[in-house]
Amino acid sequence: MKTIGLISANYSSSEFGELLENRSLASLPYGGRYRLIDFALSNMSNSGITTVGVIAPYDSGSLIDHIGIGSPWSLGRKSGGLFVMPGSAYGLQSMGSRFLLRDLIKSKRFFERDDADYVILASSTDVWNIDFGPVISQHEESGSPITMIYKKVPKGEDYYGFFLDIDEEGKVKSINTEGYAWSNYFADCFIVDREYMLDFMSWYETLEYMDMVQIIRDNMDTMDIDTYEFKGYLGKIKNPVDFIKVNQDMTDYDIRNEVFCNSERPIFTKAQDEAPVFHDKDADVRNSLISAGCRIEGKVENSIIFRSVNVGKGAVIKNSVIMMHGEVGAGAVLNNVIADKYVSITDGVKIYGTKDAPVVLGKDKKI
Amino acid sequence: MKKKQCIAMLLAGGQGSRLGKLTTNIAKPAVSFGGKYRIIDFGLSNCLSSGIDTVGILVQYKPLILNRYVGTGESWDMAVQDGGVHILPPYASETGGEWYEGTADAIYHNIDFIDMYEPENVLILSGDHIYKMDYNLMLTEHLENNADLTVSVIEVPWEEASRFGIMSTDDEGRITKFAEKPKKPDSNLASMGIYIFKWKVLRKALLDDHDDEKSSHDFGKDVIPKMLAEKKKLFVYRFQGYWRDVGTVKSYYDSQMDLMDDMEHINVFTKDQKVYSNSNFYPPQFIGPKANISDSLICNGCTVYGTVSHSILGSGAIVGDGSVVEDSIVLPNAKIGRNCKVKNAIINEGYETEDNAEIGDPDGEVAVFGRAKLSI
Repeated sequence: MKTIGLISANYSSSEFGELLENRSLASLPYGGRYRLIDFALSNMSNSGITTVGVIAPYDSGSLIDHIGIGSPWSLGRKSGGLFVMPGSAYGLQSMGSRFLLRDLIKSKRFFERDDADYVILASSTDVWNIDFGPVISQHEESGSPITMIYKKVPKGEDYYGFFLDIDEEGKVKSINTEGYAWSNYFADCFIVDREYMLDFMSWYETLEYMDMVQIIRDNMDTMDIDTYEFKGYLGKIKNPVDFIKVNQDMTDYDIRNEVFCNSERPIFTKAQDEAPVFHDKDADVRNSLISAGCRIEGKVENSIIFRSVNVGKGAVIKNSVIMMHGEVGAGAVLNNVIADKYVSITDGVKIYGTKDAPVVLGKDKKI
Repeated sequence: MKKKQCIAMLLAGGQGSRLGKLTTNIAKPAVSFGGKYRIIDFGLSNCLSSGIDTVGILVQYKPLILNRYVGTGESWDMAVQDGGVHILPPYASETGGEWYEGTADAIYHNIDFIDMYEPENVLILSGDHIYKMDYNLMLTEHLENNADLTVSVIEVPWEEASRFGIMSTDDEGRITKFAEKPKKPDSNLASMGIYIFKWKVLRKALLDDHDDEKSSHDFGKDVIPKMLAEKKKLFVYRFQGYWRDVGTVKSYYDSQMDLMDDMEHINVFTKDQKVYSNSNFYPPQFIGPKANISDSLICNGCTVYGTVSHSILGSGAIVGDGSVVEDSIVLPNAKIGRNCKVKNAIINEGYETEDNAEIGDPDGEVAVFGRAKLSI
């Protein structure tokens, strides 16, 4: 059955400070060489979806620069391909909301012009590697017009968003914003019959200022919604603390293998040609991800280093994320620091954040 | 379509038999180099940085990896409308099919291809040299001299001159004599196998050469000596910089180590004349909690648990727990098991060692181990 995809990137958060000053959450650099939206795009592409719409955020420059015409995800195509559609002016700021109905209505033409049976709607900021094939098959068999994807999470974990109360047949009974009594965490991704989606948009047109999931929640009693359990890794980033943690998760053997080393479903990103990493004779790198083009002369531990970063002699970097083109001077010490692109740290400067309050250094900052 | 001032023809059909196991199932220009590159990247990247957007790649020996790797040429910005890369294998005609018999013969069979672009000049390149060069500087001299042929040369130490094709010139740089591997060289200007011909002149020379039954259809042995004898205008272009022909396992190993040890001369880190490749789809390298890496080049996609010193790990290579890799080159996607000792070795692409293996002669010559496993 033919399926198309729609990725919503028109939402943001004020919790990231300078990191999101000139970019959307969807284009936040992640994992040494990626942007968050790479996961949504790669998941679609790897599942054989060849028509993908992206609802762009208001501040779309860095996102559009990154995704271009979609070639890295094999979406630079004549039939189908990538469609970037403008989102409405301010998008969504409230955490947890991902699918503003107004944006979907604005993109109505995308749903109308295709003859696909299904549409997968996905958020643009989650770190995961999912095959949508089985989701589509299950959805087809269920006969429900909507199937929501969820992951079981341990009680008490600090998740935000929506939780699903599910009956014995796997149908959604109710949708809740707190997960204290259950732990079926909605993965901000669902599959909908395309024609039902068009009907939905006209039925609820007057509620266009609302999130689609909120509308579903409020009208639960009239809806038949199936569920699909995703059992893999799901990295959610809602603030700088999560950002470091979800980056460090990739130093875990099993998680990295699942997310990055699946030869059938690689995560694609825009190619940048950089030389191999040069580890100097004094380099000391432990439990870290290092991207191409770096020159390492110091110590790096439990950290993520993006491409073309220079780490000077005697410098020490721990529990940090250093984005592309960073310069860390000789003898500098960074602990629990997130440094945006082109940050430059002078020789000998010491910056200490904590696990619960990492220091964020904005783009181009020189210290 | 715009006429081209200069298009390039890149000779990539040779076997490179002196590279032994490295070329068992991969053409020499497609052999891995410097961890993330393949040898042909240097020639193609030079074309890109010199503004040459039309390249014919002449293939013959085991071209499968090469063809796939070059693809549309997008990696070298050559997926363009009025040019691009063209893989040119031997083909059949009314009178049957023939292999390329020599370097000149390969170009001869593609005269129609070159004519399609109506270029003023044709640049002939070898797909197996490591260097960074701006062909525009050479082309400018070629045009200023109104030369029929310009040969790029490099000064080599006198004692090594007898290993090369040596050019003698007059004061203006016009070639007066060409000697292939002379016993007593009277010049130390060695041909780099890089030529710019006026297309009209080359076209005629190729037709003549094809009709010459005694010819071995080689540029160095036949075409250039004949042009010299015919008093054509042949000039040298003096190239200064790093240039290596990686024809043997030793030179292949040494020039890769130069990427680390001789950054003054061959620098793949600088932004100018960047070297591009089609290998940029690996995640960042993961360096394990007990890993120890020093003085080494490590590529994206690598996973390192053991110790690596003065070595190069190609894209996607794995070094297991407890293993020690020294003075070695592990080619892309090869896997060194646990508790292995690897020294003075080149581990072939995709090859997987057993745990506890001891590979390479600690006191001897560098050698290649394993058969390359083709994969995409």
